[in-house]
Amino acid sequence: MSSYVTPDRSAAPYVDPTPEATQPHVPEVGATSAPLKSAAFFIGAYCKEYNDDFMLCKAENRNPEHCLKEGRRVTRCAIDLIEKLRENCATEFQRHWECLDFRNQEYYRCRKEERLLNGCAFDKLGLTKKIPGTSPGKTPIHEVPNPIYRNVQK
Amino acid sequence: MPPPGGYETLKYKRNLPFRGPGGAVMVAGVAAVCAFGFWRLGLGNIEKRELKRENIWSRIYLTPMLLAEGDRDAYRRQQAALAREKEIMKDVKGWEAGRSVYHGDRHKPDQRIVLL
Repeated sequence: MSSYVTPDRSAAPYVDPTPEATQPHVPEVGATSAPLKSAAFFIGAYCKEYNDDFMLCKAENRNPEHCLKEGRRVTRCAIDLIEKLRENCATEFQRHWECLDFRNQEYYRCRKEERLLNGCAFDKLGLTKKIPGTSPGKTPIHEVPNPIYRNVQK
Repeated sequence: MPPPGGYETLKYKRNLPFRGPGGAVMVAGVAAVCAFGFWRLGLGNIEKRELKRENIWSRIYLTPMLLAEGDRDAYRRQQAALAREKEIMKDVKGWEAGRSVYHGDRHKPDQRIVLL
């Protein structure tokens, strides 16, 4: 019997005993939740093909072994996009995700920063934020000029 | 006897100064305020629904990336567990390492992970 000790409590430094799988190495995205949430719609727009391909593959078979190749493409694409965002819209991106981090990760409380980021992403990368399923003829929620739900804190 | 010039006239007129709008106006006013409030509430509910949807779509767009990352880790652990099982059971005759306890090829995620 071995009992589990959390890595931060153990005396010796934690070493993951399971080896790297016999698969080509792919760097992980390594972003925390706020930058990911900030970039989510751009990832959806930029990596649509890879994402759809991966999800169709997953629908075929849920075994993690089945879709490793597609999964690597998805990860590479996400890394690529985040790097592009950081190259072209560094300040806007950072301000938006820091705002999200600070505001409970709610989009409606960071519209000002979001508009700057969206504008930059459209100008430099040609990416638009689009929420699928918005009823035609209605302003999508992130472009409503005078919303009822807004950030009330300073 | 009356005083010269007669008595003063009696002040008997009612003195009721204007004390605010009448009942009907009050009722109408309250109704108007309520109507405005409910209208705003309705707009807010629609907006809330849209915000929820926006949030859900951000999750949907992130799902493939997170799933791919998790899959790689799950696969790595699976392979390691398989290697361990092979090592432990190498002397047992007829043991097939990593064989599913179920028939059928639908994937079932591991119920337990060994944390060493």
